[in-house]
Parts: sequence; structure tokens; C-alpha cells
Amino acid sequence: MKRYDLIVVGAGPSGLSAAIEAAKKGLKVVVFDENEKPGGQLFKQIHKFFGSKEHRAKVRGFVIGQQLLDEADEAGVKVVLNATVIGLYQDKEVVVKLGGEVVHYKGDAVIIATGAAENMVTFPGWTLPGVIGAGAAQTMMNLHGVLPGKRVLMLGSGNVGLVVSFQLEQCGCEVVALVDAAPRVGGYGVHAAKVARTGVPFYLSHTIVEAEGDECVTGVTIAEVDSSFKFIPGTEKHFDVDTICLAVGLSPMSQLLKMAGCKMEDNPKRGGQVPISDSYGQTSVPGIFVAGDVSGIEEASSAMIEGRMAGNVAAEYLGYIEKDALKEELDTLDKALDGLRQGMFAPSNRGKLIEKTDEGIEVSQSLLKNGYIADEEIERFPGVVRKVGVHPVIECTQNIPCNPCQDACKKGCISIGKNITSLPIVVDGSECINCGMCVANCSGQAIFLVDEDKGDGSAEITLPYEFLPLPEEGTKGFGLGRDGKVVCEAVVTKCRSSKAFDKTHLLTIKVPKEYAMKARFFKVS
Amino acid sequence: MAERIKEHPILGDIKKGEPVKFTFDGKEVMGYEGEPIAAALKAAGLMVHRYTKKEHKPRGIFCAIGRCTDCVMVVDGVPNVRTCITPLTAGMEVKTQYGVSDKPFEEQ
Amino acid sequence: MNSVNDRTRDIGPFVPGPDDDMLICRCEEITKGEIRQAVHDGMWTLTEIRRYLRTGMGLCQGQTCSKLVKGIVARELGVSPAELEPATSRVPMRPIEMRVFANEADSNKEGE
Repeated sequence: MKRYDLIVVGAGPSGLSAAIEAAKKGLKVVVFDENEKPGGQLFKQIHKFFGSKEHRAKVRGFVIGQQLLDEADEAGVKVVLNATVIGLYQDKEVVVKLGGEVVHYKGDAVIIATGAAENMVTFPGWTLPGVIGAGAAQTMMNLHGVLPGKRVLMLGSGNVGLVVSFQLEQCGCEVVALVDAAPRVGGYGVHAAKVARTGVPFYLSHTIVEAEGDECVTGVTIAEVDSSFKFIPGTEKHFDVDTICLAVGLSPMSQLLKMAGCKMEDNPKRGGQVPISDSYGQTSVPGIFVAGDVSGIEEASSAMIEGRMAGNVAAEYLGYIEKDALKEELDTLDKALDGLRQGMFAPSNRGKLIEKTDEGIEVSQSLLKNGYIADEEIERFPGVVRKVGVHPVIECTQNIPCNPCQDACKKGCISIGKNITSLPIVVDGSECINCGMCVANCSGQAIFLVDEDKGDGSAEITLPYEFLPLPEEGTKGFGLGRDGKVVCEAVVTKCRSSKAFDKTHLLTIKVPKEYAMKARFFKVS
Repeated sequence: MAERIKEHPILGDIKKGEPVKFTFDGKEVMGYEGEPIAAALKAAGLMVHRYTKKEHKPRGIFCAIGRCTDCVMVVDGVPNVRTCITPLTAGMEVKTQYGVSDKPFEEQ
Repeated sequence: MNSVNDRTRDIGPFVPGPDDDMLICRCEEITKGEIRQAVHDGMWTLTEIRRYLRTGMGLCQGQTCSKLVKGIVARELGVSPAELEPATSRVPMRPIEMRVFANEADSNKEGE
């Protein structure tokens, strides 16, 4: 039986990060992953990540995936693919299916980084071809370049549902409705807003009554639910769709840990059945560690930090580094992780209804119910100010851990301050040079450059645009409001692309000046 | 029904293997070498991968990452092949799976 | 003793529900009604349900339905899903052909 210092199960963001840290400390490491390619779900993530520089904010997920693979290569991490771990015995014996054989390995330490599996909901017709998981949609479109469908209904308003809806639109699918049984949008407001402004209607407090079709999905009926999630008769709505996408949460894939004899708990805040572990991933079995979603559902950014923690702890456990060195590493990682676990969406706030921001501003109720901020709500947020000349309008209205906008502006127009979750403000007396870096760098696509009065009765709005084809200068169309409805006529005056914008194009449209604070998207007529 | 993404606004051209021919229930279909069989079927608008054993109900892609096993088909004579994670090769014989057979129920 | 193990507890009679024909275990094609009935037949643990009905015993090994089954059983027993012990985890965690499962690599000749 072959022995390794450390065996990592799962080559996703946390597993790779753990392996990298351990290999750097001198451990002989192997990573097993059942998939054909490493990187876990990172290569399906095409949006820019939140956070700050140290979390690789504003970098797209698949780029982070490649960076991680390169780092693993450099550190000499051995990743074995198509290697399905089918068992983990108590003395850290790992059983792997490799090709047509079953191979046993012994790890002096084992890190389980198996990630999560999608939750599902049932409704009549849920087994029909065309009802798919949101992950399946991402896999089809972003890995294999195949459209998941033409007309899609999305169930789930968490970040996965919102992000995947946007991705579906980016590759040319029509998202006919975004539906959630919960009364409020579950994911980041900025993710919701960028979907809503393209015209996707949100149906909160609604769920699927039935999927229709004989051989595959041809339609779907949804209906409103009351506070005990019972259908309210007479509220049914029907859509012709070929695809129903389910994004109703994730559960840790912790079966290996249970098998290995780790103490487990059912913890709804962590997403289900998880091993009891300390904050650095040590389970109840000495030498077995966990990192990433398998220890509690969070995001790729935090999974990578947890992985690095576990890799270091494993190194110390096997004597490759001293306690002092470990403490130093963990202090830095702790800070990085704390940064991500703040704000309204922090794990500790899960399930809580937050009515005011840290600044004491009332949270937009329309954002939570409809996916967009109402016109009458928008001006109470500190990033939204009226000024003469071109200036940024920052429609970032929830306390989330993200600050690339403040670094993006070389003129110091945008400030978040020390606390990464504070709402960005437009700095008094600062001078915007219309460079567009803030618009392109905002991971939430929540920043617009607005010239409220061009002097000829018109206003110009520069907005982030990640769709094809790119409208050319002079293209006529409509300005859409935050709710995705046509508010005015608009004409494209400029479309800027640059390497520094990283595929977020800057579309400038001219609209009647009374729509300067209303039009937020462009649709070709 | 479904089709391929020609140019993706973020990913650009999605790299593919060589175009290859394979068969679905004896009919010739085009796909790209190395992509999952399920992706090639989906791109060709073929939704039903199998009919279940008990209820004879249609199933297709569900999780697309090899977990749910709903997309299994008979591939080159082998039943229960997870088409969402099995790479396509030229000349593959892909057949609808009825229960665990490639023969329709009335012929079983 | 928690309420799940207390077999003297009366959980009431089986009451048919409107969605009893809803398929829960996609692989083995087991319905909600069958699972609810099984609880009333005395199968109070997820392991028992598995053996009795084969939920989660098909090709996918419960990847999709285990959480759903847990919810249904908990509801029938009048407990929270968190109180139910999940079904046993054991090798093999993934579908594997018997000929592969039986083919242990020669431990002297390394597998990879």
C-alpha cells in the first residue's frame, strides 16, 4: 500500500489550496479527484469575484481556477484525476477507484475537500428531461458551450440562481422568470439587480406547481404561496419553457467523513450534515481535516482560505512546521477569512432579516421583493449623488465584503474606508475623469457613470455590458429602468472595450435628461 | 431545441475537439471528440436518454456532473453509462436505455 | 432516549396525502406515499427505510433523494430532520461495477 504524508480528496478550490500549502511546507501530497479536470466548480464561474485584493476580487472564477492550477504545479502537487475515492477507513486508509482497479492508499494526514451537492425540490413533472440543476446549466454552457435551453425558468434566488440566470442570458437564453418560495431574494442585491434590469421578472413567494410535457418539458405553472408555503388558489401563472433550472441550495458531501468515524452534526447553518471541526478544519479524528463546502456551505473565496488553513494545520500535525510558524500563517489567513465573513450575508446572519445597513440606511425592500431598487429608494444610498459633469453613481446598497471600486478609481472619487463591508461613497470634491475603471471593476456591475445634463436636454449613462453582439455607436434602442421595463428612447454614443476592463464592456447611451437616474440598461430596438 | 454557443461574451470561443460522427439509436449525429456524450446529444436537441424500469418514464440530463445517474444510456453495448461524464469518441454507438436494456420494453 | 428511538410513541395512523404519488427516489422510483407508509409500517430510521424500500440504494446512492427522504420521514415522525441519524455511509461511495470493485490492485505493483 502506497503511503503519502497527505492525501487530499477533491481538487476544487479548497482541496487545491490545501495541497499547495502542504506541498510548500515539504509534505509529500497527492490529490484525488473523480472528475476529468481539476478545479471543481471554479471553471464554471465566469463572473468577477467579490472581496478585496487578497481574495482575488474582480478576477473571474475560471481565471482564479487557472491561477490555482499553476500554483499547484509550481508547488509540485500531484493531482490524480478520474480517481474516485470510494471509501475512507478509520486508520486513514483511502480506497480509490482508478480505471478498472481499486487501489488502497495510506495517508498520515487526510484532508477531505469534497465540496457540496445540489439540493433538489419535488413537484409534479420534476423528473422530466428539461428539469435540470443550476449546476448542470453552468456545466453545459460554460464548460461545453452548449445552450441548456432556449426559454428557461429559474427556481431559486440565492446567489447561484441569480448568477446562473445572468449566465444563461449571456449565452443567449431567455430567462422568463426567476422564482423563489421565500418572500425575499436570497442572494446579493447587486446580482439580483443586474438580472432584473435586463427584464427578467422576479416572482418571490412563488413556487412551481407543475412542470408540463410528455417526453420533455414544454411548460411550467407557478403560483403564489402563503406564509406556510401553501399555494394560494387563483394565483397560477403559466410559462412556455423548455428548461426549468433548480437552484435551491447545496448540501455538504460529507459521507466519507461519517464513514471514517468523524463526529458529525446536522447543522442547518452549515447546510446539513457536517463533521464537527474546529475553525481550522480538525475533525474529531486526529489527522483528518476538512476544508471548503464539505464543512459548511460558503463560497469559493472562503473555501480557498479554509484550504490553506487545513494544509498548514496538517503540516504542523506531521511536524513539518513549528507551532509558531503555524500561528503566523493562521493569523494572516484568519484575517482574510474574517474579511469575507462580514456583512449582511455573513454566515452568522443566515436567516436573519436585516432592515438597516450598518450606516443606518433602510435596506431597499423593492430589491428584496422584486430584485431591483425602486426609483424612489435609490437616492438614499451614499453612492448615489447628483453632480455636475460626469460622475460615478454607485448602486451598491447592502453591506457586502467587497472593495475593488475604491482601488479602481485613481482619482480617489470612491471610498469604502477601513471596513470592507461599508457602502461605497462618492468623495466630495473629487474629480471624475470618465475612465470607466470603476464601472468595469465592480464585480456586482452596480456602478454607472452619469452625466446628468449634457446641455442639450440629454444625459449620458455609461453602463457595464457583458453581452454579444456589442451595439455599435449610433445604434438606436431603449433605455430600460432598474426593473427592466422600457423607460425611454436611447442611442449608443460609445462602446469601450479594453484589456483592463476584462470583458466588461462600457456602453454609453444618450437618453433624455429626466431619465439620467432611471435608465440603467440598453435594449436594441 | 438546444444548440451550441457560437461566441461567448466572456469565454470567447469554447475549445472543442475534432468533429466526429456517432450514432444515436442507429441515426448518425455529429459531435465533438472528447466532449461528454450528453453535451453532443443536447446540442443535437435530443433530450430523452432513457426510460425508467418501473414506470417507463423519460429521463435526461439532470446534474451533468456524474452524480445523479439520470442520464445513463447504453453506450457501445454497455448499459448504465453516465453520458454526462463519458467523453465522446468517433463511431460510438449510443442507444436509449429502457430499464437496463437497449431494447424497447415491448421487445423485452 | 430521543423521540426517534422511542418505539412506544404513537405517531397516529397513515393518512393518505394528495401528493403521495410524487416520485422521491429517482433511481429506484419510490414515491412519497410509499415512504410515508413505510414509517407507519415501523421503519423509523433512514437505514431501515433504505432496506425496506431501496430508497437511495440505486445507481446514484442517494445523492439526490437522501435529503428529501429525511424530510419526509421526519415529518411523519413529527421530529426535526436534524434529529434523524443519516443512513450509514459505507464503501463504495460511488457506483462501481462489481468486476472493478473486486479487482484490488496488486499492492506491490503501484496503481498510479
